[in-house]
Amino acid sequence: MRPFLRRLLLTLLILTTGISLTNASESAAEKEDENRVDILSKVQNHYKWDLSPLPFGEVELPRIFLYDSQLYVYGSTTAATASETFTTKDHQVVPADGGHITLDLSISTHLLFFWFSALITMLIFIPLANRYRKGVGKEKEPKGVFQNMFEASFIFVRDEVCRENIPDKHYKKFLPYLATAFFTITFMNLLGLLPWGTSSTADVTVTASLALLTFIITQVNASKEHWKEVFWFPGVPSWVRVIMMPIEFIGLFTKPFALAVRLFANMLSGKILIFSIIGLIFVFAEMFGPAVAYGSSVLWIAFAVFIYVIKAFVALLQAYIFVMLSALFIGMAMEEHEEHEEVEYAGA
Amino acid sequence: MEFAYLAAGLGAGITAIGAGVGIGLIGKSAMEGSARQPEAANDIRTSMIISAALIEGVALFGEAVCAILAFK
Repeated sequence: MRPFLRRLLLTLLILTTGISLTNASESAAEKEDENRVDILSKVQNHYKWDLSPLPFGEVELPRIFLYDSQLYVYGSTTAATASETFTTKDHQVVPADGGHITLDLSISTHLLFFWFSALITMLIFIPLANRYRKGVGKEKEPKGVFQNMFEASFIFVRDEVCRENIPDKHYKKFLPYLATAFFTITFMNLLGLLPWGTSSTADVTVTASLALLTFIITQVNASKEHWKEVFWFPGVPSWVRVIMMPIEFIGLFTKPFALAVRLFANMLSGKILIFSIIGLIFVFAEMFGPAVAYGSSVLWIAFAVFIYVIKAFVALLQAYIFVMLSALFIGMAMEEHEEHEEVEYAGA
Repeated sequence: MEFAYLAAGLGAGITAIGAGVGIGLIGKSAMEGSARQPEAANDIRTSMIISAALIEGVALFGEAVCAILAFK
């Protein structure tokens, strides 16, 4: 009797959820234009900085265009569309005479927050470097919470990231890049957790340019053995070499590509997750009425706070992974295979 | 194209299964390794994070394809 009851209950449950879901989708389609929470627009790049609960409202950011080999600079999107040269079409600014903008150098929110984090990094580390130059921390003990905290994190990057992965002779050369990347990415990620903030690493162009830097540094400093491995893999029959060549060549580009996509997708998914969980309140309001929505909102808010805390951890972890893998790629490309070949000869 | 949404949802789920199994296996081996040799725990943690990040990268490619299916 009991399995039968359980099956009946389960069937009922499945059926009812199916019904309510179809109802929800129908009514959602009707109300689509009325009251839609657009999650994607919350995570996209904008040309205005939304400070809406504050008295400033929405601050429009400057638009800079290179069009017809002439530079146009406007204070805001409104000013750009009000001028004779540019007009608006599908919420995008286009030239009035139907041409295409050569180069869009407009200041967007992601760029703004990229600058903010770069500024924070500079404001922290330039005074800190001056302190060490004066001898505080070198000859005497480091002073204050601030210096101790950032010295510890800097030494973490130096010892755990740089020295681990890059050959001992060369690691000092790459420390500035890796440390700067680590702290800037960390601040970029963390700024997204603040009210009115966005994390600019949730934009694929930002992460792609960071990965491009890593790619260039890796290739410029690559050893001869690295290029030999790419184009003529040592130690295998020649027909395998022909197969390996395209694979290794593509591998050069997939590494930074994966680096960019990893950071971007992690930060973006965290944002979308928080919005989706909060959006469940509205979905429940539509499906079961406002009472259920009010009741369950406690649960969803708790969930969203949990994801928020996870995001704060992921912000640090992803910055660490980015510099870690950068250091790993640089180290791999610089590796010289002397010991390796000796072992081979000894074996033969 | 409702089927695109279905495919995106299923694909995201299957990708999550794959990444979960992979990262779980890494975590399992790392736990065993550092339990057997606690002095090597630091090295094990570093290589665990690297391999987890590499698996995650592949999973994120899958998720990105699903996201494109859903949002296009």
